[in-house]
Amino acid sequence: MTEHTTDAQTVDTLSEPRAIDVSFMALIVALVRRELRALWHDPWQLALISYIPLLGMLCLWWLFSAGLPRQLPVAIVDQDHSQLSRMLTRQLKANSVTAPQSFTDLSSAVSAMQQAKVYAIVVFPYDMKKDLLTGHKPTIDVRYNSQFLLVGKLLSSQIQLSLGEGLQQVASLKQLATGTPKSQVAVDLNPVKSQTTALFNRNNNYIGFLVPPVLVALWQLLSMLAMANSLNRELHLAPVMQADGISDRLTTHFWPKVLAKMTLFTPILLLQGGFIIAGLYLYLALPMAGSLVVLLFAQLAMLLAIWILVLLIFVLMRDSARVISFCTALFAPAFAFMGITFPTHEMPQLAQWWRLIMPSSHYIESHVSVVSYGASWPYVASQMSSYWGFICLFPVIYLLARKLLPMTVNLNAVSIDAAMPAKGQ
Amino acid sequence: MNLSNGEHSNMQLQISLWRLIITELKAIISDKAIAVTLFGGVLFYSVLYPLPYLNQVPTEQQLIVVDLDHSSLSRQLIRNADASAKIQVIGQVGSITEAKRFIEIGKAHGLLVIPEGFRRDLLLGKGVTLSYGGDASYFLIYSAIAEGLVSAGMDAGKQVQLIGMLAQGENPKQAQESLNSLHLNSVPAFNPSLGYTPYVVPGLFLLILHQTLLIGTGILGAGQWRHKGYWQQVSPVQLVCGRTLAFMLIYIFFTSFYVGYCYHWYNVSIQASLGLVALWLLPFLLATAAAGVAMSTLFTRRDLPTQVLLLISMPILFVSGFVWPIALIPAPLVLGSQFIPAVPAIMGMLELNQMGASWASVMPKWLQLWGLFAVFFGLSILGIKRRAKILLAEANDKRRV
Repeated sequence: MTEHTTDAQTVDTLSEPRAIDVSFMALIVALVRRELRALWHDPWQLALISYIPLLGMLCLWWLFSAGLPRQLPVAIVDQDHSQLSRMLTRQLKANSVTAPQSFTDLSSAVSAMQQAKVYAIVVFPYDMKKDLLTGHKPTIDVRYNSQFLLVGKLLSSQIQLSLGEGLQQVASLKQLATGTPKSQVAVDLNPVKSQTTALFNRNNNYIGFLVPPVLVALWQLLSMLAMANSLNRELHLAPVMQADGISDRLTTHFWPKVLAKMTLFTPILLLQGGFIIAGLYLYLALPMAGSLVVLLFAQLAMLLAIWILVLLIFVLMRDSARVISFCTALFAPAFAFMGITFPTHEMPQLAQWWRLIMPSSHYIESHVSVVSYGASWPYVASQMSSYWGFICLFPVIYLLARKLLPMTVNLNAVSIDAAMPAKGQ
Repeated sequence: MNLSNGEHSNMQLQISLWRLIITELKAIISDKAIAVTLFGGVLFYSVLYPLPYLNQVPTEQQLIVVDLDHSSLSRQLIRNADASAKIQVIGQVGSITEAKRFIEIGKAHGLLVIPEGFRRDLLLGKGVTLSYGGDASYFLIYSAIAEGLVSAGMDAGKQVQLIGMLAQGENPKQAQESLNSLHLNSVPAFNPSLGYTPYVVPGLFLLILHQTLLIGTGILGAGQWRHKGYWQQVSPVQLVCGRTLAFMLIYIFFTSFYVGYCYHWYNVSIQASLGLVALWLLPFLLATAAAGVAMSTLFTRRDLPTQVLLLISMPILFVSGFVWPIALIPAPLVLGSQFIPAVPAIMGMLELNQMGASWASVMPKWLQLWGLFAVFFGLSILGIKRRAKILLAEANDKRRV
């Protein structure tokens, strides 16, 4: 390395053939050191790998930390004021999901619902008990807020469950009064009992359902930004030779530089990914059927796929603001395409294709099969074959890089933007 | 953006607000990164974000049946389940473990177990228990399967009951009545189809407008503060007014496209009048634009605003309260999020336009948006003054050197 002491311009043209002399490993080590230095001098990159993920993950977890929807306000409009209507209200109170609030008239209940102060309205009609006793068929009206789909669906089923249970008590009294033996009453009323089991997420916990994909989406954004920023940095360096013999010219040692970035950022981001898994499945002790190591392996595959995508966009755009814009446009909607909130096989064909571009949607399938179904190595490995498209991108990127990168270097040589600040606030 | 010297001297003289707005518009459109984010982003996202949800409701979820009874009644139950729009029976297997394997490889999403002696026990007047299982790793699938199976099971139960009562000699009409003595009329309000796009689109689209507007103002500002330019030639108040108005001019079109055409296209239910919606969105756009200018004074690197806003967009979406109920979000988070214009704007818009609340009831949030506008307007003036000072100090340093 000591040979390269002459003027930067001449060395620059010579550096490519001479690089062959230097052993490849030494070059990579030097390049990784260079990346570390760059990382250390860039507060935003440091933030991206340290406190931003920590803060973001804690905030998102805290947001959903209630886990199970409980005590959701429900308006009760009791126009009957009978023992029956009070009994049904108590039934609703006994349900952990609903928190009944009494309203004297319908209009105030409606306006409370329109302002999202209550999520459902239950109306016990005037003379409900009398109608029931005299053999008429009264109607209990239930309106639930389906603009908030999750809450609305949950309340609709829970209110029906609570009221149905209460009404059965009424019916059983009626049967007992007509002289049916007590043992027979329960069977008469409900010959077919049903037992519904939520497989793989026993208590319908939202933390187990929603938080892992949300965090994976955030982690994907962080990985993308870290790599994109690191690549973008190469665009703004003056093409001079550094003291340690590494040229800052974009095309010189481009692939070793990319390799150095990967060797630096892959472990750092895997650490973050491991932190997510450890936090969810070890600290919060969410149910986990498979092994954590398999998940780490799946995360590694996802990271490599992200690197390939970012590299492709970088080679195509070669302008820092545009690289960031395009990566953002591509990765921002990844959560919607994961297929957790809305099932994959119900998406239109176009969405299913678009979904395949996102590394996170490949990963999340392995994640669910490991966490829920306890899938083992061979199965997860076979799932990973879905990444084949990304591998096919590799030769494309290589060819594009050979063609396009020299163009940028020549352009930059004409008008090098030395004013680019290394520091941001 | 870098105006020539001749134009500079012209602008030393007070330039009118209109000329400032036109200069701003030119700067926005000639900046590729901003133009791509604003025009490309807004159009692209209007198609891409709702794309996965276009089919609205999950139907025909695959169900695997474990029939241990093999009777006429169990077969009828299976047919009933298959007839439900939410369920598609894909086959029968001999044991629960086998059924679970079907779920694990993703061929089925739920299972139904019909116990041995199902029909015999029912006819003997003993109670039986049906077991349903759904893959709760996916909530929407789980709820579709549970709903479909519960209604199929209830139907089978009712039929058995009816036969039993008729056999005991009750008259058919009375038997019907004593089975359904009370009618539960449960109806969804506001989003009658329970569709996914009417649920996601109204809030999400306001958030997209909010984020792109912040990114646009952010990139524009961050690119300018380190260089001399027209932004120094006018007073900070003028600059904020001009920039806010320029972005407003562009966003009037974007917002009309989103709230007018896209809401209609994605079947969003609409309750408020055009005038009220416009009145609602006015302080939202103003506050967002002012917040963008204020935020931009924190950055001098053009690629940073996009990154920051990208990272906070998911938290804003979840804290705004239509995905996860506000009642369950920790109070400090709710309180802190009130300073983000999108949060009161989304909730108020849903109340006003989707749930039909009266103007008086959303008034506090509307005033809050105006308050945010005032705060961010002040902050952006302070920020610009600071930037001008820093630039001046740097120039002086250079001169001294």
